[in-house]
Amino acid sequence: MIKRGNVLSRILHKWIGLVIGLQVLIWLTSGLYMVVVDLDFIHGDPLVQNMQRPIVIPDSSRVSIAALKKRYPNASHIGLRPVMDKTYYTVTTADSRYLVDPATTEVISPLAKETASQIAVFHFNGDAAVINASLITADPPMEIKTRRLPLWRVDFNDRYSTSFYIDPYSGRLVTRRHQYWRIFDFLWMLHIMDYDERSDAHNPLLVLTQVAGLAFCITGLWLLFYSFSGRRKRKLAEG
Amino acid sequence: MVFLKKLHKWVGLLIGIQVLLWLTSGLMISLLDPAKVSGAKWARPAARAVPLPVENLLEPDELAVDLTRGALSIELKTTSGQAVYEIIRAGGASLINASTGLLLGFSRQDAKTLAQRDFSGDGGIDSIEKGMAPDMETRDHSGPYWRVNFKDAADTSYYISAGTGEILERRNNHWRTRDVFWMLHIMDYSGREDFNNALIITVSLTAIWLGISGFLLLFCSFNRHEFNFLRVWRKRDEVLVTLITTTTGDPRVIRLKRNSNLFLSLAGKNIDLPSICGGGGECGKCRVKIGSAKLFAANAIEQALVPKPLREQGYRLACQYEIKGNITVYI
Repeated sequence: MIKRGNVLSRILHKWIGLVIGLQVLIWLTSGLYMVVVDLDFIHGDPLVQNMQRPIVIPDSSRVSIAALKKRYPNASHIGLRPVMDKTYYTVTTADSRYLVDPATTEVISPLAKETASQIAVFHFNGDAAVINASLITADPPMEIKTRRLPLWRVDFNDRYSTSFYIDPYSGRLVTRRHQYWRIFDFLWMLHIMDYDERSDAHNPLLVLTQVAGLAFCITGLWLLFYSFSGRRKRKLAEG
Repeated sequence: MVFLKKLHKWVGLLIGIQVLLWLTSGLMISLLDPAKVSGAKWARPAARAVPLPVENLLEPDELAVDLTRGALSIELKTTSGQAVYEIIRAGGASLINASTGLLLGFSRQDAKTLAQRDFSGDGGIDSIEKGMAPDMETRDHSGPYWRVNFKDAADTSYYISAGTGEILERRNNHWRTRDVFWMLHIMDYSGREDFNNALIITVSLTAIWLGISGFLLLFCSFNRHEFNFLRVWRKRDEVLVTLITTTTGDPRVIRLKRNSNLFLSLAGKNIDLPSICGGGGECGKCRVKIGSAKLFAANAIEQALVPKPLREQGYRLACQYEIKGNITVYI
């Protein structure tokens, strides 16, 4: 049997490398992408504008909170928020949400396709045109897995394949996604080895592979010791 | 291949310890239970939204202009049985009593009540402190807060906004452990959140060469016969190797597997040739003289480590030598 540390560590390093070498390379490559590409860019911060518009407090003689409470007796929240250049009332009840125009008392939610597209353009920092808008009511794509549906998805014809997601019941830009975000998300999935949800780093496959990775790394460091001590002794012999 | 080996070991020497830290911290992070780390495991479910009270409340245009100026949104809701306006501004949130129009604040006693109502773990309150600016544990927030420390096993601390009574964070030792390993993983030793820092970019760019060289070396480190695991029991695959120890001159005949590596096969028979690197083709110590009818050409590693006159006499490195047929080996 193999007894010497130098021979044993070399054999172990080589065979563990055969099993998990590809995953180690994936860890290094995906890690490099996540580290090099700016996180604010990934979050799409440069793609949006008009995100912090102050509201205009409406005159309560036209539509009051009291009147809205009467109209929606189950309302748990009544608020004011901007949708593009105008301020609207928002009403939340146990089963639904409403956007109410404070000037006309008209309910404008759920927002139509055209309005959702206009909101998306209003928040989009660029000149690209909208190429598609669709209402997602079920089976959401991976990139909005955790979000509350329905949502309008508005796609732009820009170089990042940007998609804006607009809430039809509040007019809010819920989130934005683009090609580099999607790459990041895919690499994150590979990095944490959670191929279903892409979010759970507390999974047995990852733990197991990391234990093997640790053995891989330790045998490598062990080998390093032999590789470099050989060099010193050879130099001495030659000198 | 000689270059790849050099690259691999020098990059390994340079950043091997950080690779070890990445794997250790990564392992620790994935071993920790996210529900414990976030404190969600010991948090009671949030109260269900209740209909707004029917009594007369102030309208938004009846609130003091100073309190609503610059608001990004306003929302009337009920918290702890009280109707309030939540005003969101660029700088943060504030709460206004919807009946009186007065700005709300949360006292030490309020913070204690709110924390106790949410926390379901064992142990009462140990202490309550006030913080004015965010620290490491509240780094995602701004504004003054109360820190309510519990006497549980995980040293839980609740952070409650002094302005809105919101539970900002539920911190405990699980989170603190994770945060230290996260810091080591992303190499941001001051803020612990920026993984686009120059240090980790540099080290990652270096580490990728360790990965690429290692991956390529993998292909040169195996020969296909190593995957033929059934061969161990196949007698007809054996060749005869005559070993002659040059100092004593004693010949000894052993059976080794055809196509196997001479150095490793001998090691497997407890014949340890001199070696420092362990068969990696780096130290040149396992030099032997091969006596065979057909001697194969020396590879690049042997050319680098065995002087030419010796190579011409039949000297080779055992760790580079694949046994093809019956040979005599002088050791």
